Amino acid sequence: MSSHPLALIAEITHSCPLHCVYCSNPIEMTSRKSELSTAEWVRVFQEAAQLGVLHLHLTGGEPLARPDLVELVAAAQKAGLYTNLITSGLGLAEARLQQLVSAGLDHLQLSFQDSRADSANWIAGAKAQSHKIELAHAIRKHSLAFTVNLVVHRQNLDHLDEMIRFIEDLAPDRMEIANAQYYGWALANRAALMPTRSQVERSVAIIAEAEKRLACRIRIDSVVPDYYAQYPKACMGGWGRRLMLIDPAGKALPCHAAGVIPGLAFDSVRDHSLRWLWDESPAFRRFRGEDWMPEPCRSCERRAEDFGGCRCQAMLLTGDPNATDPACSKAPAHRLIEDVLQAGSTDSAQPVSASSFVQLQQQTLPLWTYRVNPK
Amino acid sequence: MAPPTDTSQPHFAPGCRWGGSETERMVLFPEGAIKIEGTGRRILEACDGERTFLDIVEELQANFSASDPARIRADVSSFLESLQQKRIIDY
Repeated sequence: MSSHPLALIAEITHSCPLHCVYCSNPIEMTSRKSELSTAEWVRVFQEAAQLGVLHLHLTGGEPLARPDLVELVAAAQKAGLYTNLITSGLGLAEARLQQLVSAGLDHLQLSFQDSRADSANWIAGAKAQSHKIELAHAIRKHSLAFTVNLVVHRQNLDHLDEMIRFIEDLAPDRMEIANAQYYGWALANRAALMPTRSQVERSVAIIAEAEKRLACRIRIDSVVPDYYAQYPKACMGGWGRRLMLIDPAGKALPCHAAGVIPGLAFDSVRDHSLRWLWDESPAFRRFRGEDWMPEPCRSCERRAEDFGGCRCQAMLLTGDPNATDPACSKAPAHRLIEDVLQAGSTDSAQPVSASSFVQLQQQTLPLWTYRVNPK
Repeated sequence: MAPPTDTSQPHFAPGCRWGGSETERMVLFPEGAIKIEGTGRRILEACDGERTFLDIVEELQANFSASDPARIRADVSSFLESLQQKRIIDY
């Protein structure tokens, strides 16, 4: 077990101008009025740095929706944290970008939904594509690390090659091609998003080819869909081993989706130090180490590599957070995953556009539900 | 991409920088960190965007005069090339 977290994920707000159908935020989101204040976040960043945290990931929702974002970046920088902003880019004009860079932002990760504007806007439930492209060019004029993130799924994987070339033209240092992970909104929309086996197989070959072509220019990090993997992902690098997430109201979680586990209470930075939350809080101790493990995990030679997979996925799919992650081919409940893959149709839908978000919601209803904002 | 040439001026790539403490020096970059000690640390501390690859090699050759100079040159070159591939160093 690490004696301290290496990275802190700060969900500074759940508010977001996009409505992405695969959003990893919980369905039950934190309201704006219960968000931590500037001073509370600054204290969290200082404690994190003292604890030995190296990286801070500012995320949301959309972190730009916080009017004090520049102040928060400056405070993180002053505390000594390597600061990464994970953003859709909406609400970021040139002047504020300059302020963020001057405040010491180290890394900016900009999300794209697709290379094709009609499809991107359809997936995000908002007209965002042209602004994102303009912003990507503006970011490149500054000296900070720039990552373009693309979430892939059934509705866009057929033109992955085109999307990689589109990102290449934006000239990031790094591109992240991440398959949707099935929690929160993505789980609700799983039938429309789950890729087919042939899509997954082709995408692996396309990414391998792109890695070779872009070597030394753009680093590619890809996240495979765990439903198609033989072994589960080492979720969060193991429960309470490397990462701590603070939600907008200050609750400390071992994982984005941990709120789905019944009976698990999350203590807040409003009442406790980060040191106590990491070492002592019941939520972080619940699945730390190997004592909780059932068979076949307990005697599995891979248990120190994938830590039994994801506790939240085990809960969501089997109803038991102690179960072996069904994504594992050795899991007693692996059949649940196989059934989902067999049930998947092979057709992709066609992008829809509408004059208002309400109309767009209505027109895409049987296909998927858009993420909506907290009250 | 090719290894550095004599006139290359190695420097950190955008968004890569020093972190950690004086006793435990780390190089921080997007999504990761590497602990750097010993000769690696000396080389990276010399990668200030001013000094050339040749300056850095000659400095090390002078400091380690008992070692084979050609070997030192080859080691520095492959070290920097590997960091360039990870997008940590540019030259």
